[in-house]
Amino acid sequence: MTRQLTDRPRAVVEAKSAPTPRARWSARTRRDFFVFLALALPNLLLIAVFTYLPLFNNIYYSTLDWTLGSASATVVGFENYVTFFTSPDAAEVLGTTAVFTLVTVGGSMILGLLVALALNSRIRGTTFARSAVFAPYVLSGVGVGLVWLFIFDPGYGVLAWLLRGIGQQSPQWINDPQLSLVMVIIVYVWKNLGYCAVVYLAGLQSLPQDVMEAASLDGANGFRRFLSMSLPLLSPTTFFLLITTMLSSLQAFDLIRIMTPLGNGTSTLIYEAYLQAFGAFNRAGYSAAISVILFAILLIITLLQLRFVERKVHYS
Amino acid sequence: MALNLDRRHFLGLAGAGAGAAALSACGGPSTTGTTAGAGAADIDFSGVKPAASIDFWTNHPGKSQDVEKAIIEKFHAKYPEIKVNLITAGANYEEIAQKFQTSQAAKSALPGLVVLSDVWWFRYFTNGNIISLDSLIKQLDIKVDDFQKSLVADYKYADKQWALPYGRSTPLFYYNKDHFKAAGLPDRAPKTWQEFGEWAPKLKASSGTQYAYIYPALAGYAGWTLQNILWGWGGSWSNEWTMNCDSAESVAALQWAQDSIYKDKWAGVSSKEAADDFAAGITSTTISSTGSLLGVLKSAKFNVGVGYLPGGPKAESGVCPTGGAGLGIPSGVSKEVQLAAATFLKFMTEPENTAAFSAATGYMPTRTSADMGAVLAKTPQIKTAMDQLAVTRVQDNARVFLPGADQEMAKAAAAILTQQGDVKATMAGLKTTLEGIYTKDVKPKLKS
Repeated sequence: MTRQLTDRPRAVVEAKSAPTPRARWSARTRRDFFVFLALALPNLLLIAVFTYLPLFNNIYYSTLDWTLGSASATVVGFENYVTFFTSPDAAEVLGTTAVFTLVTVGGSMILGLLVALALNSRIRGTTFARSAVFAPYVLSGVGVGLVWLFIFDPGYGVLAWLLRGIGQQSPQWINDPQLSLVMVIIVYVWKNLGYCAVVYLAGLQSLPQDVMEAASLDGANGFRRFLSMSLPLLSPTTFFLLITTMLSSLQAFDLIRIMTPLGNGTSTLIYEAYLQAFGAFNRAGYSAAISVILFAILLIITLLQLRFVERKVHYS
Repeated sequence: MALNLDRRHFLGLAGAGAGAAALSACGGPSTTGTTAGAGAADIDFSGVKPAASIDFWTNHPGKSQDVEKAIIEKFHAKYPEIKVNLITAGANYEEIAQKFQTSQAAKSALPGLVVLSDVWWFRYFTNGNIISLDSLIKQLDIKVDDFQKSLVADYKYADKQWALPYGRSTPLFYYNKDHFKAAGLPDRAPKTWQEFGEWAPKLKASSGTQYAYIYPALAGYAGWTLQNILWGWGGSWSNEWTMNCDSAESVAALQWAQDSIYKDKWAGVSSKEAADDFAAGITSTTISSTGSLLGVLKSAKFNVGVGYLPGGPKAESGVCPTGGAGLGIPSGVSKEVQLAAATFLKFMTEPENTAAFSAATGYMPTRTSADMGAVLAKTPQIKTAMDQLAVTRVQDNARVFLPGADQEMAKAAAAILTQQGDVKATMAGLKTTLEGIYTKDVKPKLKS
């Protein structure tokens, strides 16, 4: 009891002896604050100038009827948004974006996981295989696009040559809008599956071996162990990849630009925004509206993933 | 994840947002009224001293970097007080236009002189991005009468001259002489597409190539070369500002093109560059720009023949469009820079320089007085392009004046030629699209 009387809660003691605001803003605190400003302000300024200013500029431009290159524009409010959502292009662009994103995210993750499982096994040459699988991810998208364009060329491409060898004509990969999308998806998945594979491989190697061995002793076969143990334990990795690959796919640009400059069949939201402003149309305001729509979609997807998908993640 | 957005944070974010929005509204284009084209009025250059240095933005049409450098060196020798910086501003006309438009928006880093293609100059004009050259032509005594009349007329609008021709071209019919000989065909281009339709099966059978003819790549300038077939059948993309690409004649023309691929199976569509496909021996014939001539002659391992574009059932002549690029002067640079640029423009288009440019690229000489004797002795095929100029036709308004129309035409062509789409429905859809572009992007700017 005595102890309770003398050993008063610290908060009470501090509250009683709290300094006045002037005293609290001591020379040392002030100095710390200026150090904080000196360190943080340059970064905050950079973020403000190069991230938030363009973002708000873009939102403002989306309310204008502005031809790129013209010094004048007309304020049209939400007309650019209405035009986009009521035009036949909207369904095509949104559909292409959805197909491209779902297939590339799904393809990269599933193939990446399979490759990671193969690389996780104790066989010879895995170090080389890991490097080979990851290499395309760090290659320039422009270079990759040009090389694959040559491979797919129906006239004198490698693929056409192989097909001719078995008496088949090459499909019109580049001119046919539907095949163009397939072509770009194939190359995108090839380029990015190394990233998923390496991240999954790290996840696989951090799985608790004692638990896996216990399951094995209990008679669970490899497939059962993968399905019931590895996959749920990999959920943080899967969740991380889902967010990063989806954001990356929705912003994919270089391969589409190089392989299908007209965007015929491959016009995703981001490429449509590029074509509208910097392609032949020069509709800068309309393009800004498409960019804002893309931004909203990215924001919603990320929030939904954080809100709902993360709940199903097992962190340990 | 829980979003802990209390009132204080919300107000902070809202304040930051409002501040940024207010700040952002300070930049960009003016919304307080329309800006008349800066080049609309003639500029008085009297008393102006040329700038000491200018940038020349080019995409080196027809792989012309070396000859451009050589001409600039000659210019420096003649005008040591003006330095010309040769800038590679893109790989093609679209990339150079993209850089130019972006610089206009940024209001900085504009060149003194810029290469502008047939489909871009009019947009620069409507945006007020280029100046009229009339006062400079007068002051510097540029001999406009000595230029090829039709090529100069391409850049005339509202009684003013907005550019002068530079790397100008027409499409040419390229054929593999060896294949023609093996098929027992005459050593000439076909007079009409009907005639070629009779030749094509023999050509394909005897040569063993994939195609007797390959249509130019759709990502290239499909709208440009397809005018040849449309005009031959009596159709067009447009008649003045009336979009008539869905007329019976236009539909018949493109139906014939589709049949050549799917029904008669002697034609294909290039994926990248028809001239390269032709030079690689994939096809016996194609249509490509005169700007590709020197490249084809250099890389082809067979005898190359060139001829006029074939006509059609309704028109055997006057079925060849002009094309290529000119040179213009931006409105957003100082008078001193504009004067220096015009001085260089004058030099660049002088007869001996246009002849040198033709010799290096295959593009047509833009001056009638250019001495082409030595050039033609070395590359006689250029003569065909020069002679064809007399039977060229001004391009359809829809193709050259509507922003993005070329791209829409290429998409329609892709639907017809690579997906076997219904020709009439595709062209009707294209007509609606073109009318939409005209109404929204061009018509309001023509009123003033």
